[in-house]
Amino acid sequence: MTRAVLTCSACGVEGEHELRYAGRLLHSTCCLACGHEVRHEPHDLRIAYVHDLAHRVATKPGRLVRRARRRPASFWWDLPGAVLRQPRKLAGELRTLFRD
Amino acid sequence: MPHSSPREARGRRPRRPGRAARAALVLLAAGSGTRVGADTNKVLLPLAGRRVLTWSLTWTGGLATVVDTVVVIRPSDRDRVVEALSREAPGRPVRVVTGGPTRHSSELAALTALSPQIEAGAVDVVVVHDAARPLAGRRLFADVIDAAHVLGGALPVLPQPGLLPVNGGAPPVESLVTVQTPQAFRALPLLEAYRAAAREGFDGTDTAVCIQRFGGLPVRGLPGTADNIKITFPEDLFLAERILAAHQWHMP
Repeated sequence: MTRAVLTCSACGVEGEHELRYAGRLLHSTCCLACGHEVRHEPHDLRIAYVHDLAHRVATKPGRLVRRARRRPASFWWDLPGAVLRQPRKLAGELRTLFRD
Repeated sequence: MPHSSPREARGRRPRRPGRAARAALVLLAAGSGTRVGADTNKVLLPLAGRRVLTWSLTWTGGLATVVDTVVVIRPSDRDRVVEALSREAPGRPVRVVTGGPTRHSSELAALTALSPQIEAGAVDVVVVHDAARPLAGRRLFADVIDAAHVLGGALPVLPQPGLLPVNGGAPPVESLVTVQTPQAFRALPLLEAYRAAAREGFDGTDTAVCIQRFGGLPVRGLPGTADNIKITFPEDLFLAERILAAHQWHMP
């Protein structure tokens, strides 16, 4: 969950909103002043998510290589933790997607 | 805001400088500069695989005319901005400068940081862009830089037809436009205009207002694009994501 200051289209207040993401895609936003929620249509979001997930998987090796070249020490140091976090991260994304 | 320079209005062709512009990009990411706390600056929100802010660096990354980049931030965002730049714009030399409480003071901070290069003649044009507009596109940056190099200043405008007065107000003038960014200006007159504004305590709403009052440069309005939205409402994030997805799924 991320918070950011945006202008609510319902109450007009420029204030904090909660943003929920499914992977790299925005799932929904909620105005903390009035509770107004804006969300992706669930079916469309699932299709977009599958498309994006396939892209993430396909480009992962390249991204890993670039990071390893750029900062080898921190890359190897962080790698085990990053690998271990992936299943939980993916499960969280799927939970967000299919909770609707 | 004039659409064409006085020189053009007199029917003469503007003189084209002999070589390509060397432009400095100023990316305004400080927001109002007054908010502090746990909230994320909207320019640091994820958008289609990048931060909102780094999309503008993507568009300008392939432009040979852009030789320097300054990102203006609020102090509390420094670590997150530096981390985002290192991850999403690796190898690109970017200076991070702390902005002021207003847009004008943030621009002055950026121009002050660039002043050695401007005064040495290493930068001909400064292109100022609001980091909350992630969809400006490469072409628009290239066009405003080229036009500013030739004419003095250039900014994208979008016609707003169909506006009507309410409560018996005055009818609107014949053609109204909204002004977008990126806005580009010749560097030295821009720096001098901001110094003059600082001496008079002037605080303009955007770059063009200051250059109009203190710079005396002709400014051309170029066609803006409807895609070049400013992230303001939550819906803008969804729309920006859709537009980027419709163009390509090339994400980092």
